[in-house]
Amino acid sequence: MEPRARSFYRNSEKALANATLQSAISRTTGKFVRTRAASVDAFPGFEAVRHEGSRIKEETLGRLDHYLALFIAEAEKRGAAVHVARDAAEAREIAAGIARQEGITLAVKSKSMVAEEVDLNSALEAAGVEVVESDLGEFIIQLAGEPPSHLIAPAVHKTREQVSRLFEQKLGEPYTEQIPELVRIARKHLRAKFLAAGMGISGANFLCADTGSIALVTNEGNGRMGTILPRVHLAVASIEKIIPRLADLPVFLHLLPRSATGQVISTYVSVLTGTKRPGDPEGPEKLHILLVDNGRTAILQGKYREILKCIRSGACLNICPVYQSVGGHAYGWTYPGPMGSVLTPLLVGLAEGAPLPNASTLCGACAEVCPVEIPLPRLLLELRSDERDQGLKNPEEVLGMKAFAAVMSRAGILEALERVIGVLCQIFCKEGKVPWLPLKFSGWTDKRDFPAPVPQPFRRLWKKQRGIRPWNR
Amino acid sequence: MEPVDKKEELIRRIAVALRGHEGAKAAPRPPAGAAGTGAGADRISRFREQFEEQGGNFLAGPSLEALLPALGEGLRLSGVTVLFFPPEDADARQVAEALVPFGPFSLASPAEVRQPSPPRSAGVQSAEFAIAETGSIVQTSRGGKTLLPGLLADVHVALLSPAAFVDRMEECLAALAEDPPRNISFLSGPSRSADIEQTLTIGAHGPKKTIAVVFP
Repeated sequence: MEPRARSFYRNSEKALANATLQSAISRTTGKFVRTRAASVDAFPGFEAVRHEGSRIKEETLGRLDHYLALFIAEAEKRGAAVHVARDAAEAREIAAGIARQEGITLAVKSKSMVAEEVDLNSALEAAGVEVVESDLGEFIIQLAGEPPSHLIAPAVHKTREQVSRLFEQKLGEPYTEQIPELVRIARKHLRAKFLAAGMGISGANFLCADTGSIALVTNEGNGRMGTILPRVHLAVASIEKIIPRLADLPVFLHLLPRSATGQVISTYVSVLTGTKRPGDPEGPEKLHILLVDNGRTAILQGKYREILKCIRSGACLNICPVYQSVGGHAYGWTYPGPMGSVLTPLLVGLAEGAPLPNASTLCGACAEVCPVEIPLPRLLLELRSDERDQGLKNPEEVLGMKAFAAVMSRAGILEALERVIGVLCQIFCKEGKVPWLPLKFSGWTDKRDFPAPVPQPFRRLWKKQRGIRPWNR
Repeated sequence: MEPVDKKEELIRRIAVALRGHEGAKAAPRPPAGAAGTGAGADRISRFREQFEEQGGNFLAGPSLEALLPALGEGLRLSGVTVLFFPPEDADARQVAEALVPFGPFSLASPAEVRQPSPPRSAGVQSAEFAIAETGSIVQTSRGGKTLLPGLLADVHVALLSPAAFVDRMEECLAALAEDPPRNISFLSGPSRSADIEQTLTIGAHGPKKTIAVVFP
C-alpha cells in the first residue's frame, strides 16, 4: 500500500465533512470503548495480566534473535517452510513464488495487517492468483476497492445500504436492508471459495517460539476455514509477533479480545502447528510461513522499540479523540490511530509520516487502554522532537514554540502579556469566546469555540489570596 | 541468495540491532493467574454461564436418553436434515444414531458435507476439553481427528464428559504443549460477525448454533 500519510490534514478535512462516516465512526468507537471498559471491570486480574503481557513482550524483543531462531527451527522441524523477507518487495516476490510453485489460481485470505502493509494481494494477482478476502469486513472493502479503515472493523465506514448496493453490483444479489441476509449472502459466496481454493492465506496474532505454532484469533471462523480446508497454508507475519512459549498464549488471550471488542474470548482461537500428519483427514499438506522484517530491525535498535510490543487490539484507536473524529483512512497507510501514528513514520520514514505524530492531543487515553502498556504519548513526543531535529517542522511552528517557551519561563513577561490580552479581549471577545485569530492561529477559531481568557488570570488570583491556603478555606 | 542464508542473516541483523541494549532477562514465570479453581460441578456451571453468554446452547442430564428429545427438537427447529460424525468417534456415532428417530434426519459422512451447497447439517463430535473461565469447547486434530463438525456444520453438537472440564486455558494448553497437535481449536459459541454497522450477526462462516451436551 502506497503511503499517503503526508496528506493527513487534507484527508482529515474530507473525513470531517463526511456525515455517514462520522456517524459510523462514533457508533463503532463508542461501542468498543464501552464494551472494553465493561469487560475489563468484570475481570479483576486485568491489570496484573496486562503487566505480565507487557513484560513477556519486552523479554521477547530483548532476545528476539534467540526466539526467532527457535521459532524457525521448531516450525521447520514440524514440516513448515519458513521464508524471510527483508522488505515489502521481497515479501511480494516470495509470496508470488510460493503461489507459482504450488500452482495456485485461487486463494482465500483472512485478515492480515502486514499483508496489507506489503501489498501482498497485488503481487499474487500479478502471479495469476485470484485472492478473495474472507473476513466479512475485508470482503466488503475488497469488493469496493478500498483499504481497511479500522484494525478490527475494516468496513466500519460502510452502511448496510452501501454494502447491499455493492453485493447487488458485484455479486448479482437482490437488494436487501436486512443485515442477517447480507451476512448469509457473503457466507454462501465465500463457502464456495473456501472449498475451491488451493491456498489459504492468514496473518498470525502470535507465533509461539518453543513449538513453532501460529495462533490465530477470529470471530467469524474464516481463519479456521482457510487453514483447514485448502491444500496449502501461507501465514504472513511480521517478526515481532513472536512470544516465547505456547504456555504464554493464555496471557494474550486474556488481553486481546477484551481490549479489542470487550469479549472474554474471541469465538475462534486456532493454534496451528506444522502440516497435515499421517492419518489426518484434512489440514494443509504444505505450510509456508513468511516472516517480514520491513524496517522492524531498525526500530528494535532505537528508542521506539516498545511500539513493537503492539498486539493490534485497536483499543488505542477507539479511545483516541483524533481517531474518533477523522477515522482510519485519514492516516494514509495501513496502521491508523495512535499506534499507527508511531509505527507509520518509523516504517515509511519521518518525512512521509510527519503529520501523524502531531495528530494527537497527548491526552494519554491510548496508553491507559493499551493491553501491553506501550507509552504511546511519550513515543509521539519523541517523534515530534525528532521532526524538529531533522528540520521537518515548519519555521513558524519552531519560532512559535520558542516564543511560547520564552514567555512561560519568565513570570514578568507572562503577566505583562496577560494584561495586554485582557485589554484586547475586552474589545474583541463576545459571549466568552474569541471570535477569530489571525494567520496560522485561525485553526483554533475557525471550526471550534476558543474560550476567552478569564478576566482574572490565575497568577493574579493567587497573589491576591496569598497567605490563604486553598485547602484551609 | 539461498533461503537458509537469509534466515541466518535476519537473526544476525537482529542480534546486531540488540547489541548495546541492556540484555533482556528471561524472568521466571509468575504464579498462575487469578482465576479460581473449583470442584467439578462448579466448573461445569461456570462453563455454562460463560458459554451461554457467548450465544452457545447448553444441555446437561443424567443420561443420553434423557437428553435426546430436547436435542432432537433443537436440531429440528434449526432445520437440520443431515447428521454427520467422525467415523472413529463411537460416542458421536451413538448419539447421531439415537437422534435419527427424533426428526427427519439422515446420517452422512463428513466428506458429504464438504460441498458448496450442503444440506442443513449437524456435526456431532466428542470434545476433548471444555474451559470454564472462557466458555470454550476445545477440539484438536490429535490422533487424526477431523475438525469438520465444528467447522462446516450449521449446528455443532459437542459431547462433553464431566471429566473434560478444566478451569483455565493454561491447564488445557499444558496438556497439549508437550507435542502440540496440528490444530488446536477453542470454539466459544456460534460464528459471529459485527462487520456491518456493528450489528452482531450469527453464522458468518462457521456453525450458526453450538450445543454443548454434557452427560456422564
